[in-house]
Amino acid sequence: MFATFRLSMTWLHTWFGLVLGYVLVVVFFFGSLSVFDREIDRWALPETRFEAQPMPSFDEVLAPVFRELEPHPDDMAATARRVIGPLPDPGTLELASLYAYTTHRDPVLLVGGEFGIPNKPKDASDEHQHVHGWATIDPRTGTPLPVDRLKIGSDFFYPMHYSLHLHAWNDVGYWIVGFAALVMLAALVSGVVVHRKLFRELFTFRPRKQPQRRLLDLHNLTGVVALPFHFFFALTGLIIFAAIYLPVSDKLLKPLHDAHERLESTQTGLPLEPAGQPAAMASVDAMVAEAQRRWAERGMAGEVGLLFADHLGDTNGYVSIYRAGTDRVSLTGEGIHFRASTGEVIRVEPPAGVVAGINDFLTGLHLQHFRHWLLRWLYFLGGMAGCVCIATGFLFFVEKRKQQHAREGRSGARWVDALAVAAVTGTLIATAAILVANRLLPEDLPARGTWEERVFWLAWLGALLHAAWRSAPVLQARRSAAWAEQCLAVSVLAVVAVLLNWITTGDHLWHTLTTGYWPVAGVDLTLLAAAAIAAMTARRLWSTTPTWEPAHA
Amino acid sequence: MPDALFYVLVVVLVVLGLASFALAMERHWRQLRPGSPIARPTTLVLRAIGATALAASLALCLWLDHGTIASLVWVMALVPAALAVTFTFSWRPQWFAPLLWWTGTRP
Repeated sequence: MFATFRLSMTWLHTWFGLVLGYVLVVVFFFGSLSVFDREIDRWALPETRFEAQPMPSFDEVLAPVFRELEPHPDDMAATARRVIGPLPDPGTLELASLYAYTTHRDPVLLVGGEFGIPNKPKDASDEHQHVHGWATIDPRTGTPLPVDRLKIGSDFFYPMHYSLHLHAWNDVGYWIVGFAALVMLAALVSGVVVHRKLFRELFTFRPRKQPQRRLLDLHNLTGVVALPFHFFFALTGLIIFAAIYLPVSDKLLKPLHDAHERLESTQTGLPLEPAGQPAAMASVDAMVAEAQRRWAERGMAGEVGLLFADHLGDTNGYVSIYRAGTDRVSLTGEGIHFRASTGEVIRVEPPAGVVAGINDFLTGLHLQHFRHWLLRWLYFLGGMAGCVCIATGFLFFVEKRKQQHAREGRSGARWVDALAVAAVTGTLIATAAILVANRLLPEDLPARGTWEERVFWLAWLGALLHAAWRSAPVLQARRSAAWAEQCLAVSVLAVVAVLLNWITTGDHLWHTLTTGYWPVAGVDLTLLAAAAIAAMTARRLWSTTPTWEPAHA
Repeated sequence: MPDALFYVLVVVLVVLGLASFALAMERHWRQLRPGSPIARPTTLVLRAIGATALAASLALCLWLDHGTIASLVWVMALVPAALAVTFTFSWRPQWFAPLLWWTGTRP
C-alpha cells in the first residue's frame, strides 16, 4: 500500500492521531487537572477548606455515622431496575459491609457500604445482591456534606479523564479512552519513526521559521522530551483498566475465577460468606493501633488510608486495614486483617512478589497516592506538554493542507480546525465555566451539582458551535477567528472565577498565600496563569497577520 | 538546607547536563561559536560534563526520596529542563556561553 515503512507510519500517525487526538487532548487535559483533584474540590466546596485529616476514630466518630448511613437514592433507582419486585424501604435495610477512605490530601472522608436486599435479580447470573450507600463526611464531627454538592475535581474532572462521562452502551467512554490510549502508544512509536532526527533535533525550536516548521518543531519537542511520560501514562492507564478491557478472570473464565476465590478464602482465612451467627464488633480503634504498630515495625509507619469491614454483625465478620500510600510509588496497602468479633489478627498480607510488585509500581505511578508536591507539578507539566503536542499536531495538519484544500474548494481543513478549537480552547472554556457556575449558582439550589455539570456541557457545546461558525476563513486558507475569540473568553472566565471566589468566600489570593492555604491559592494562581497565557495568545493572534497569505491563482 | 533548595539543585544540574549535551552537538555549538567547527575532544568533554551532571542529579534524587519516587522525579525533571534548554537556544543562546569558558575566548 505504501512505498516505504516510513510512509505507512506517517499515514498511521496522521490519521489515527487526528481522529483519536480529539479524545486524547481531553484525556490529557483532565488527567492533568486530576493531579490536583482534591485541591480543586477545596476550591469548589468552600465549607471543606480546612486541613487534611487522618482517619478518625472508628469507635467514636465512624460507628455512629455508619448507623445513620442509608442507601443512596441513585443506587436504589439503579438496583430497582435490576431486581424483581419492589425494594424495601431504604431505612429498613441492614448494612452488610462498610468502607472509609481518605488520602493525605483529604480534609473530608468518603464513607460507604453495601446493604443486603431480599429481592431476586432479573438476570440469574447477576450475583450482586446489594444496594450501595455513600456519603462524604467531616471527619472531625461526623457531619455529612449535602449530597447534591459536586466535588468538581474528584467527581467530575477525574472521571472525565478515564470515562468522558459517557456511561451509555455499557460505559462506552471507558472503551473510547482505552482505544485512544492504545492509539497513543502507536502514535508515539510511529512518531519516532516519522521524526528521523530525534536526537539531532532534540533541542530544536525555530521560532522565526514559517508556521509549519514552528508547529512541527513544537510538536516534536513536546512529544519527545516527555516521551517516557507519554508512553508510561498511556501504558499504565491501559494496565489499570486491563480487567475492564480484557475481563478474562471474572467473565471468560468465570468457574475458574469462582474456584480461585474459594481457594483463596481458605488460604487467607478471610471468609467469603457470613456464618449466620450474630456477633458484636470488637474495638476497631484497637485493631487500627495494632496495624499501625506492625507497619512501624516494618519501617513503614503511616496513617490508615482504607478501612473495610465485611459480614457486619456476623461471627465470620472481618476488618481489613490498609495503609495510606505516601512515601513510595507502589500502590500497596500492606493490608492487615482482623476478626471483627475478637480483634485478633487473621492475616498479614505478605510483601508483593515480582510480578505483583511491578504491577503495584506501574499502577501507583499513574494513580499517584504519594506525598510529593514537586512530582505532582512535574506530572501536571508533563500532561500540559502532552496537550501542546496534540494541539500542535492538529494545527500542523491544518497548516499543511489548508492551501491545497482552499484551491480545490474542499472543507476538510476547516472542520479539522473547528474541532481542534472546540477540543483545545473549548475544553478550557467549559472548565472555567463550571468553576464560575460553582461560585454563581444559589447555595440552596436543589441538585446544584447537576446544574454545574449542565453549565459545563452547554459551555462546551457553545464553544463547538462558535468554532464551527467562525472557522469559515479556513476555507480561504486564512486563520479561523475562533482561536483568538475563544482565547479571550478563556482569559475573561478564568479571571472572573478567581474574582468570584474572592467575593463569595472572602478567600482572596493575598489571604490564601499569606496563610499558606495552597489548595485554593494554587487553583487561583493556575487560573490567573492560564488567563495571562490565553490573553497574550489572543493579542498575538489579533496583532499578527498570517505570515504567508494564500497564493491566489 | 531545606529540601526545596535541594530540588532546585536537582533542576539546575539537569539543565546543566542537558545544555552540555546540546552544546556537544554541531547545530548548537555553532550558535555560540559560529566560526569554528567543534573539535572531537571538546565534544567528548562536553558529553562527559553532561553525563556527570545528570548522574549527580540522579544521585541527589535518590538521596532525597525513596528510590521509586526518586526515579520518577528525575525522569520528570528532564521535561521542564529540556524545554528550558531548547527555548534558551531559540531566543538567548548566549546565556549558555559560560558553559564554554574553558574552550578559550570567543572568536
